[in-house]
Parts: sequence; structure tokens; C-alpha cells
Amino acid sequence: MNTRYSDKNPLILRILGTAGKALILGVACVFTAFPFLWMVLSSLKTKADILNTDVFFPPDPQWQNITSILFDSPIPKYIFNSMWVSLAIVALQIVSGAMLAYALVFLKFRTNRILFAIVMATYMLPVAATYIPSYIILADWGLLDSFGGLIISSTVSIFGIFLLRQAFMQIPKGLVEAARMDGASHWRALWEIVCPMTKSSFITFGLMNFIGTYNNYMWPSLITKTSDYFLVSQGLRAFFVRDGAYGTEWALVMAASAVVVIPLLVLFAFTQRWFINGIGGETGMKG
Amino acid sequence: MTVSGGKRRYQKRYDRLPTVLLFVLPAFIPLLVFWIYPIGRSIFLSFTDWDFISPTYKIIGLKNYLSLFKNPRFFEALWHTLVFTAGTLIPTIVLGLILALLLVRSFKGSGVLKFILFSPWITPTVAISIVWTWIFKADGGIANTILTALGASPLKWISSSDTAMLSVIIVTIWKSLGYAMIFYLSALEKVPGELYEAGALDGASRWRQFFDITLPSISPTTFFLMIITMVNSLQAYDQIQILTQGGPSGSTRTLLYMYYQLGFQEFNMGQATAVAVIMILLTVALSVLQFKASEKWVHY
Repeated sequence: MNTRYSDKNPLILRILGTAGKALILGVACVFTAFPFLWMVLSSLKTKADILNTDVFFPPDPQWQNITSILFDSPIPKYIFNSMWVSLAIVALQIVSGAMLAYALVFLKFRTNRILFAIVMATYMLPVAATYIPSYIILADWGLLDSFGGLIISSTVSIFGIFLLRQAFMQIPKGLVEAARMDGASHWRALWEIVCPMTKSSFITFGLMNFIGTYNNYMWPSLITKTSDYFLVSQGLRAFFVRDGAYGTEWALVMAASAVVVIPLLVLFAFTQRWFINGIGGETGMKG
Repeated sequence: MTVSGGKRRYQKRYDRLPTVLLFVLPAFIPLLVFWIYPIGRSIFLSFTDWDFISPTYKIIGLKNYLSLFKNPRFFEALWHTLVFTAGTLIPTIVLGLILALLLVRSFKGSGVLKFILFSPWITPTVAISIVWTWIFKADGGIANTILTALGASPLKWISSSDTAMLSVIIVTIWKSLGYAMIFYLSALEKVPGELYEAGALDGASRWRQFFDITLPSISPTTFFLMIITMVNSLQAYDQIQILTQGGPSGSTRTLLYMYYQLGFQEFNMGQATAVAVIMILLTVALSVLQFKASEKWVHY
């Protein structure tokens, strides 16, 4: 029985209410899903059909648009670049973030609060404000236009430090102290006691940052110029500039977008609950 | 006793120093090199005339700021930033809340709806902005086909300075709506049911319950979303770069885009970093404003 709202309204109002609800949700979902649908439909059209506004569904699906992206374009290479660079970055972010969060929560030291205040302040600052000096640092180190530069400049995630700190604070301090009494090092306490207990925060952290890094555009596009090092967003843009905006191959551009977007939607379908629970839990951050 | 106790405490503090450093430095060094130092360096560069190519530069004081304040482009960009931030923040939060209210009680298919509504958030902004460019095509784009079918007159969308900002705002709302909805869903689930029972006993209407119980209970989430959406909007780049490149005739040039053009296209590093510093100040000012205002309406 649901006691949230009083259901004393007359039947007619309830029917109208349900209809209104269905209408709003329907419009919102059509608005949200339409670009995806249009992308897929457009990707299967011929050059002539795609420019003909009377053709909604492709009369004769051009599957070769998709296969030519998969086998004869640089898009799969960009996807691969994005994939492994993001995995490397997220792995480093998890290790460095978990260690800092552990130190903030379980190792009492004098500058604890100051350190957390610094981390917190950087969370809200516009990251773009760091780009010019960071660019110069990478240039000085000879790391522009390289995977090394992409990875080394992103080894820390402030969002992740927050998320883990928040989760670690829920763990009774006694557990860690007991493990220490038994002779476990801090390193082992972190990975064998704290980490398993906050597994869901680690998964949320990993997934959110993987998606974020995978999709990242501005910073990678500033520091890489050679297409060998393009991540997927920049690669897609190069493809778009060549064939879409200033060309006529809209169907191929849509096929490329579909090849990039659909795997992410599938990944999301399987991991949805980690995003939704993880994001929801994050609101308890203040205090 | 006291001596040895003090000694032990002394030892304890310094015994732990290597451990603390070991745990703090892997994150702190990158934080210092790629966050803290660059912010400081940006502030310094904003007082110089550095052009990126020459090895030397002069310190020119406030000149960069003064010439920005004399430049109408700067005020245009500032105005566009505020319009874009307000234009994305308010609809995202209001519509996100409405959708969450409709989906908080699960029903058959509500999981699929949540999936659809959240999916834009995980897709690359670049990919999806390319799709929107195609949708917004003034001549033969599906957006105009739909408008015409509905009996409205077609728009020029991203190719006219009157509607380009609107187009960028639509794409941004489309992308962030589901994110706000997810936050509100989890906040709404946490509102204690007893509050509504008490409200119902008092004979409060559903509207009264919404304004007296629901809104105050979820106010921390609203506040959090306002800050996050604001920070994201102030930093929006991907969709602007793909859809309009700041145009037509500068109508979608925000401060961030101006910073990009000054720094990475014109190599006017002094002025670019001055814009960056102004962006930082703007973020801080708007955050402080929201924190101050939040004392009046956020209930923890």
C-alpha cells in the first residue's frame, strides 16, 4: 500500500492525471531518443535519400555504410585509442585516489584538513583555466602529441577522491585499527579491508571516469595533433569536418557516430545500476 | 613518565610521516603539477604580454584586463555565458524534477524510460552534437521538417545568430536532463513516508504537500544540482565547438570559447589567461552567491 499521496481524488481526475503523466513522459522520451533513432536511420540511407526530407525510413538499408566505417575507416583505431588510454587513466586514478582518500580518512596527520580544503577548492574551478600552463609543461617534457602526455596529465580525479572519501567515512575506524593490530600494513588494510567494503563506490568511480575520459574532447584535442593519437571524439570530429560539414557524406558521418555511440549504450545497459545508485549516493556529499 | 610519553608521541608523529607521504603523494604531485601550479601560473601570465612564440615576455600589469574591459567582444561573451548558464540550468532542474516525480513510483516500463532519459549523458558530446548539426540543418534538416509539419515556420537554427544560442541550449538540456532526473529520483526516494502521512492527516492537498514537504526535503539536491550544472555550463565547449564554433558572428561565443580562441588560435596568452582568471572569479562569485542564498532555502 502506498501512503505517499492521498488518493482521494475523483476517478475522472485520476484518469486525466495518468494521461497527463503518460503524455509528459512520452514527449520527453521521444525528444531524448529521437537523435539516436535519427542517427541510425540516417546512417543506413543512400546519398540521395538522406537529402530527401520525405524519406523517413531508409527504403533500402545501406549496411555497407556501417561496414565501411568498421573496416575502411580510422574510427575503430580511435575507439581502440580511447579504450586503452581511458583504462590506463582510470586505473591510475583509482590507485592514487584511493590512497589519498585512505590517508584523509584513516591516517590522522596535521595538514589533513588543509589538504582536503585544497582538493575541494579545485573541484569547482574551471579546469580549462589550467590548460595553457599544463600545455606548456607537456611541451617542456616533450609529451605533446603522445599517449604519455594524455595519460600523465590525467592521473588524478578529484571527483573520485570525493566519492571514495565519502564511502570510506562510513567504515568503522575500529575495523582498520584491528587489522593494523594484526600486523597488516596500511596498503593491505586499504585493498583487503576498505576496498571490498566500498566496492560499489569503486565501480561507480571507475565507470563514470571511464566514460568521461573516453568521451573527453577539449583537452585531448589541444595536445594531440597527429591522428595516430586521436581519442574518439577528436577523431570523429576530424571525420565530420572532412566528410560532413564541408562534404556530402552525411550518411557516413552518421554511421561513424553510430559506431561510436552504440557500444556505449550497450555498456550502459549492463551497468545502469552502478551509475544510477552511485550518482544518487553522491548527493550526501556535503557536511 | 612525561618525558617518555612525549617522546613516544614525537616518535609516533615522525614514524608515520613516510607512510602519510607515500599515500598522499601519488595523487598530490599530479594535483600540484596539473592543477594548483597551472592556476597560479595562469594568474601570473595574465599580467604579462606573452605570445607563446617568443621566449621572453614583459610584465604589463593590468593591461590585459583593461583592454578586455574596453573590448565589446568580451562583454558579449560574458553576456552569452550568463544567458547560456541560466538557459540551461533552469530548464534542466525544473524538467529533471518533473520527470523524477513522474518516475519515482515504479511501474511497468519505468526502468526503460529511465534508461532512455539518462542515455544522452553517457554518449560523447561530440558524436551527438554532430547528429544535432544534421538535425538542425536549415535546409532539409529534420527539425524544420517537423516544425513545418506542425504548421510552424522553419527556423535557421545554428546558421542564424538569432537562434544559434537557442540550438546550443537545446542540445545541452537534452544532454543533462537525465542526470538531474537521477539525482532527484534518489532524493525523492529518501523523503520519509511519515511526512506525507502526517501531511495527509492534516488534510493538506497534494500541491501543499509538494511545496511544504517534498521541495524542502529535496532542497540539498536542488542546491547541489544548481552548483554542478552551473559549473558545467560555464565550461561548456564540445557542443559549441561542433555546432557553431562560437558563431554565427560571435552569437554563441562564451567566455570559455573566447579563452580557447585567444589562447589556442590567436596565441594571445596574456589575454587568454586574463579571461581564465575572470572565469575563475565568476565561478567563485556565482558559487558564493548560491551558498549565501542557500542558507535561506536549503534545509539539511
